[in-house]
Formats: sequence, C-alpha cells, structure tokens
Amino acid sequence: MALASVERLRFAYPQSPPALHAVSLRVEPGEVVLLLGPSGSGKSTLLRALAGLVPWFHGGRFEGRVEVDGRDTRRTRPADLAGTVATVFQDPEDQVVLGRVEAEVAFGLENVGAPPRVIARRVRAALAAVDAEQLVDRSVVELSGGELQRVCLASALALEPRLLLLDEPTSQLDPDGAETFLDHALGTGAAVVLSEQRPASVLHRADRVVFLEAGRVLLDAPRDDAVAWLETHRPAWTSETRDGLQRARDEPGKPVSRVTGASFSYPGGPPVLEGASLELRRGEVVALTGRNGCGKTTLAKLAAGLLEPQAGRVERDGRASFLLQDPGRYLVRERADEEVALAADLPRARSALAAVGLAGYADRHPRDLSTGERERLALATVLVSEPDLLVLDEPTRGVDPERKAELAELLRAQAPARATLVVTHDRAFARAVADREVSLAPERETILA
Amino acid sequence: MRPTAAALLLAGLAVGALLAHRLPALGALALLLLCACLRAGRRAKPYLWGTLFSAVFVFLLSPLLQSTGWHELWVGPTVPVLGQVDVTSEELRLAALNALRLAAVGLAFAVYALLLDHDRLVAAATARRSVLAAALATRLVPTLERDARGLVEALRGRGVPPRGLHGHAALLSPLLAGSLERGLSLAEAMEARGFGRPGRTRLPAAPWSALDGGAVAAGAAFVVAGALWL
Repeated sequence: MALASVERLRFAYPQSPPALHAVSLRVEPGEVVLLLGPSGSGKSTLLRALAGLVPWFHGGRFEGRVEVDGRDTRRTRPADLAGTVATVFQDPEDQVVLGRVEAEVAFGLENVGAPPRVIARRVRAALAAVDAEQLVDRSVVELSGGELQRVCLASALALEPRLLLLDEPTSQLDPDGAETFLDHALGTGAAVVLSEQRPASVLHRADRVVFLEAGRVLLDAPRDDAVAWLETHRPAWTSETRDGLQRARDEPGKPVSRVTGASFSYPGGPPVLEGASLELRRGEVVALTGRNGCGKTTLAKLAAGLLEPQAGRVERDGRASFLLQDPGRYLVRERADEEVALAADLPRARSALAAVGLAGYADRHPRDLSTGERERLALATVLVSEPDLLVLDEPTRGVDPERKAELAELLRAQAPARATLVVTHDRAFARAVADREVSLAPERETILA
Repeated sequence: MRPTAAALLLAGLAVGALLAHRLPALGALALLLLCACLRAGRRAKPYLWGTLFSAVFVFLLSPLLQSTGWHELWVGPTVPVLGQVDVTSEELRLAALNALRLAAVGLAFAVYALLLDHDRLVAAATARRSVLAAALATRLVPTLERDARGLVEALRGRGVPPRGLHGHAALLSPLLAGSLERGLSLAEAMEARGFGRPGRTRLPAAPWSALDGGAVAAGAAFVVAGALWL
C-alpha cells in the first residue's frame, strides 16, 4: 500500500489560475522521489498538498484526493499530520520559531505530544544525525545558513516521520554542504519527496523522478528511464548549464575595480577578510567561489563600494551595481516596471524587463511574482543602469537550469561592456559563465578560460 | 537564573518605577536597568535610542501641556486650546519623573527582549500561545532592523540610495509587506510542525533554585518599595 497518494489533484490558489492540473502521484514507503520542473511549475504546491497545507493553510479551489498514511488531507489538519509528515522549506530563516537550537528542535516533538522524558533524547539524536550535536545550546541567530538548514532538518527528523518533504532545501548551501545535507536527509529510511533546481547532485540518489511543467506531470518514471527522457527532452536538466558559451577573444580592458590587501571585520566579530586582493577588468566575467562564510560577499561588497576596507586599498573606476542575495525580498515599488525604472526611465526599464524574460509583467505587483520571477526582476533592476561593474551575489539561487542557461548567455552577451563579478556556489554555472574563477577559502586562483 | 524569575524581577522593577515618586530613586532604578541593558552590546542600540527619544519627548512636551505649580521659570505666548504656555519648576520636576518612569519601563523591556531566553519562558508558560506570540513579537524589532538595512543596501547596490526623510519613509511600506510575508511563512511552518494540536507536552525544565526564589522576592519588594517609600 502506498504511503501517500495523489489522485487527479487540481488546485488553484485564491484569485489565481490553477497551479496544478489533474496531478497523480504515489509514494511508496522508503522511496526517494525527486520533483523537477521550472520555477512556478507547481512543485512547492504539490509538496504543500502532501503536507495538508494545501488547502488548509492557503485556501483555494481543491479537486481530487490526497491521502497520506491512509488519511484524507481534506479531513485531517496539517497539524494532525505532523509527525507522520515533516517538511523542510526552502528558506531556513522563515521556518525557525524559537531562539535556541534545543528548543527549536523540541518544538515539533512538544506539539505532537511526545513523552517529556524522551524529548531531550530525541532532540540530541536528531542533531547528531545531521552532525550538529555541538549546536544544541547555541542561539539560532548565531548560526550560518548551512548550520541553520541542518537544524531545520534535525527538527524534521526528530519527529521520526514516515514521509519527509524537502522543498529546495540546499539552495543556500555550498556544494559540500549540500552533499552532506542530502546524505543526512536521504539516509533515514523515511520516504522522501524532494524538489531541486540543481538536479545533478540528487539524480543519482533518487528512485523515481517526476517532472512538472505548468502544473502538469510530464514525466513520472524510475530514475534511469527519467535520465534518458531528460537527456532527450530537457537536456538542461541533466547537463546543468552548458559550457562553451562565447568567451571574450580580446584581452580584458582596464581595471574597473582593484582591491589590494584588504582586511575587514564586522563590528564585534572576527576578521572576515585579511589581506584579500582582487582585480576586475572591463570585458571579463569573474566567478568568486568558496565555502559558506568564507567572506565572498564581503569581498564583493568591497569591490563594489558598498563597504570600505579597514586595511588595504580599493580603487574603482566607473559606476558599480550590486545584486544582493535573495533580492526578491528587497523590492520597493508596486509595479514591476516602476521597480526597474527607479534607476532609469520607463522605456529602458521595459527593455530591461524584456531582457530577463519578463516582457509581459510590467504592470504586475513584484510581490505577486514567483520566487524565480522576483529574482529575474531584481536582475533587471541592476542591469538597467548599465553599470561599469556588475556584481551578482548568488544569482542562480532558486533558478531552474533553463533560466540559468539564459542568464549565463545574457551575462556573456553583455560582458564586453563591463566587468562582471559573480559570487556563486554553483560550480556548473561558474564554469559556464566565467573567464576566471577566484576561490577564496584556500587562497588560490583558478583561470578557467 | 530561570527566565521566568528574571522576567518577574524585571516586571517588579518596572512596576516599582511606575509607582515611585522620588527622582533619585527613579534615577537609580533607570541606571541599574541601563547597566543591565548595556550587557547586550551593539544589539541594545535601537532599544536605547527608542527609550531615549521617548523619555526626552515626554520631558520636553509635558511641561507645556500642564498647569501645575507657582514657581514660574518661563512665560510663553497664549496658544489656542492650550491657553497661556508657561513652565514652572514643579512642572519640570513632574516631567523629569514621568520621563524617568518611561525610561525605566523601556529599559526593563529592553533587558527582557535582549537578555532573556524567550524559549524557556515559552516552555514554562501556562498560556503558551500568548507567550509564544509575545516572544515572536519581541523578535520583530531586530528582524525589522535587519530587513531595513537590507532594503537600504539593496537600493545602494542599485545606485539609488534612499535620501532624506521622504526616501526613508518610502521604505516603510515594503518593510511592512516583507514582515507580513515572513509572518505567513512562519505560521505555515508552525502549522506543519503540529502547532495548535491538542495534548502537547514540554521539554522538562530544571527545578527552581534559591536564586530564582530570591529574584521573585526582590521583584515583589521593588513593587512594595515603589508604592511606599521610593
């Protein structure tokens, strides 16, 4: 008997077109199901339906049937499914309820009525299972993104769920951190339904692959069949961002930004950078890579002039634009075109929207857009001012492989006009887009092209 | 010390400050709370600015709105509705008392928000939902501060930094929208983790110590002293 089954599910959020069209799916006990599909294809909605959050939390029009562990989710509240089902969402900061790690991991156990004498033991066991036992007494605000995501996974694992739902849980992690996270998450024996935008790291671990597009299931097949289908029909999803884009043939031009021996520490914290140097020349695309917390963003901010070094020197020539991580959070206007027009006139703003594939979105409210669409809107807000130095901090987070390939092409096409610095964990994207890779942690620099 | 005992001590200090009517005693209470607040380091900054602004506002405004005392220090013009504006030494003393009371209550809240372990407060509470809501609301201040910094930095990164009062005021709406979005996501995560289900249990807590008992007694003593002697 299936642990979870979805039968002809059709769902629309309030005042919205359908997000899912007659979707059917079965999840067997212990099975690992990988959900793939472009941004806005309905992956998160399907995961929420399996958790009972659709329709209970979101409302909307729900047709069809979803059963988890023999219980109809229309008659069982999500809180009553907790324990059988556990969910880890994309952004750890939006799911942490309490201030200390021990209390945070215990929160779900307390809610489901676990006997008090076993709570502390299960909290420690869950933290140990994700190699985070040492964090038990720490405050959550002190944790890095990777540590916080492991605490979220521990909170889910502490419930000893039969069905674990993971919604792009590795999007903020560096490749090593993502591997470790997946090792922990997929090794529990629970059935797992996992949505991912970086399929290369997960495909070999999945038993079955479901590909969604525009709310419809295009493929539901065992892994090997799915890989063959993807290679034929959606090659971007197996080869990730394709290499071989046109690189600059000429030598790079004059330096646009030069950081020499820069040191920096945030108030009250340890040094983030000590004696770091970086030169960015017009016409080249540089990828800045390294582990979570090694100071990539700080160095990029120094190069763009958002921070000033406490020691060392930064010389800049021309205007710089910087796209923060998670830029969709920082949109300030009520129409997409007005958002972009903050730094330019309206016709140029609309051209910039078209360049990032949002031509028909000019009058939409930025907060009504999906996560991926918001990220593209934010990209338009920095491209529109035609800067001499363009800095993008993790621009592929939450972006599907097809959009990622488009972004790489766009950056390569515009590369001769400026210096471009891409801070990224995404090795495939770095290989595809960069002329040169600067890796921060081990003090080495790799010339890619 | 258990956070419940510390919260009761802080509540006692705040109530004692509200009841006290001697300037030196109020000043000493406010100073004591300020010293405790400074232990939080840089995180205390927004709370200290908020408290200072409110206290100075009360000190400057209240003498102009009152008509108490007969030792005039300054006589101003006649203003519609308020009548003749003047400042007496009695009004100044009352304004200082009210400003110090407000400062003491603000600082007690700052110490509660910055230094107490809200998780243990939530765990110990009988009315868990209310205490959890209060703990989440307390976290709103630093979260809003961080979001505001992010908005300003994002605009600087786009070459359009917010300028002047109008530029910064325009950030209030996206700040509120972002905070509502965050609240919805958190509520969804809480529901998925079984919040609101009947029959909840709690992580066992350490037993009360003599220090905890002493803190609660001291809190009660501050209330009595504030009403009778301070």
